[in-house]
Amino acid sequence: MLLKIAWRNIWRSKTRSIIVILSIAFGIWSVAFLLSFSNGMVNSYIERSINNELAHIQIHHPKFMDEPELGYHLGDVQDLMDQISKDSTIKSYARRTLVYGMISTAKGAQGIKISGISPEMESQVTSINNAMATGEYLSESGKNPVIIGQKLAKKLGAKERSKVVLTFQDIDGNITAGAFRVKGIFETYNALFDEGNVFVRRKDLNALLNDPVISHEIALKIHDLHQLDHVKSAMKNAAPNLSVQKYSEISPEVELYESQISIASIIIIGIVMLALIFGIINTMLMAVLERYKELGILMAIGMNKVKVFFMIVIETILLALIGAPIGIFIGWLSVRGFSETGINLSSFSEGLRAYGISELIYPELSTMLVGYLAIGIGITAILASVYPAMKAIRLDPVSAIRKL
Amino acid sequence: MSVIEAINIHKVYNPDSDVPVHALRGIDLKIDEGEFTAIVGPSGSGKTTLLNIIGGLDRPSEGKIIIDNQDISTFKDNELIDFRQKNIGFVFQSYNLIPVLTARENIEFVMLLQKRTEQEREARVMELVTAVGLEDKIHKRPNQLSGGQQQRVAVARALASKPKFILADEPTANLDSASTTQLLDIMHQLNREEKITFIFSTHDQRVIDRAERVITIDDGKVVNDEIQN
Repeated sequence: MLLKIAWRNIWRSKTRSIIVILSIAFGIWSVAFLLSFSNGMVNSYIERSINNELAHIQIHHPKFMDEPELGYHLGDVQDLMDQISKDSTIKSYARRTLVYGMISTAKGAQGIKISGISPEMESQVTSINNAMATGEYLSESGKNPVIIGQKLAKKLGAKERSKVVLTFQDIDGNITAGAFRVKGIFETYNALFDEGNVFVRRKDLNALLNDPVISHEIALKIHDLHQLDHVKSAMKNAAPNLSVQKYSEISPEVELYESQISIASIIIIGIVMLALIFGIINTMLMAVLERYKELGILMAIGMNKVKVFFMIVIETILLALIGAPIGIFIGWLSVRGFSETGINLSSFSEGLRAYGISELIYPELSTMLVGYLAIGIGITAILASVYPAMKAIRLDPVSAIRKL
Repeated sequence: MSVIEAINIHKVYNPDSDVPVHALRGIDLKIDEGEFTAIVGPSGSGKTTLLNIIGGLDRPSEGKIIIDNQDISTFKDNELIDFRQKNIGFVFQSYNLIPVLTARENIEFVMLLQKRTEQEREARVMELVTAVGLEDKIHKRPNQLSGGQQQRVAVARALASKPKFILADEPTANLDSASTTQLLDIMHQLNREEKITFIFSTHDQRVIDRAERVITIDDGKVVNDEIQN
């Protein structure tokens, strides 16, 4: 009966109820869209970081991440490589030799990270091969090929087929240098990455280092991200003396962005819900004051205060229950509309690239966000109903009945 | 046997102000089971205040209201609400039906609060709508009914929970002559058949003429109390 009265009560003033329902729907839509947009932005960053460099899991010498020195190499990892190649949860893997050194041309020089890679294996793990702006990706043919980033190329005045010199320390601490020819120029959406990274064949780099088997990093990509922790512990068991890390542990900003999304979601939901609370309180208070006499009658004929209180709470919750799914549905529709075409932010591309974010953002409405919204609106409705409901139960039936 | 006993009832509004209003000044009254009683008096004489105090809607400033050997003036708010629900039926001057409920739902409402079974509710609703002659209007909402029909629904609602007595505050004030006669006939019949005690506050001579006992109040005191033939 309470539900029936509450339901009919909210349709007594259709315009007012529709306005509240639309406010709730609009509030939820705005939060859903805004957070889906930032979700898409962060995911774009994370995805690009994973695809350009990080992969899902990396294995290093335990000290390498703190002090990336040549000496902190992986050692003999043949058994580990055999196990990785047989593990069906692992989609692809690549072994890298990493050196920090300098690249120079006639025009200038720049400090860089040199990654020695096996081109075929690497292309299964990262997507630098798909980011070639000019020229070609590394292959087994040719002598000492190198690929460099667009920004670095501009800075050094290097073009395809230009000759560059890579200088670094070898395994014995001696300065060594090698002449390389630019085979291709890549362009990712991360200006910092493009400026600070070059890729050569691992065998060429190892030859210059005087150590044909040395490597510093194994990068793994897995089939199913839900298996990430499982694969990590399997790798840890297989290589107990090495450091095994997930992408979020390797790149602190990725973890920061991921946690930031959760915190931002809660804060933004909180702000919008706070605004909604006042709107709902205002409406429900009007509804209570308008029905002052009727509430007095209900109490006069025997409806106790608890029931009156819950009747008002149920009315508010019903308004939210109508508004929330509409908001979530419109949010889902608008996110879906942009999820294929993306939102084009090319006018801000320079700034976005500096942070490694794509100029095309594909908003993503996660189940977690929908869950947060549902919980948020539930709490909002309950909080917003308390004051009007308290007001209702405080009324004196006699004075309410006398009210014209 | 007395259903209601009012002992030295005083009611003062705004007692701490410079101009306190003495609405009742020591009312003593006994109402017996099955009475059809009218409380009459000029406007402002204290009729409605007395009715509200007897019905537990208001509290006396002094004195006791004894119903079923209990002094209801000492009850807490929620105890009073429960007491009203179980023992008292109200009929108001302006009907005061719940606008979002149909006639049937209005009548059924108190029984739902009392958690009566569906069969009990169904039987009682049909019995009452037949008694008040509204069988064909049970699915109408109050705004689809005339004043007289609404007041008949209000009477049926007041009777639904089989209360010990019904308090009717100027029940005919907004009704035309035909509706008044019809309503009084219904109430009188229910009074006789179901032995329900009716207490009216009224200035309406048509109600006064039908009452078996007329209590006259003036300036907050009982000035006359007579049994009519």
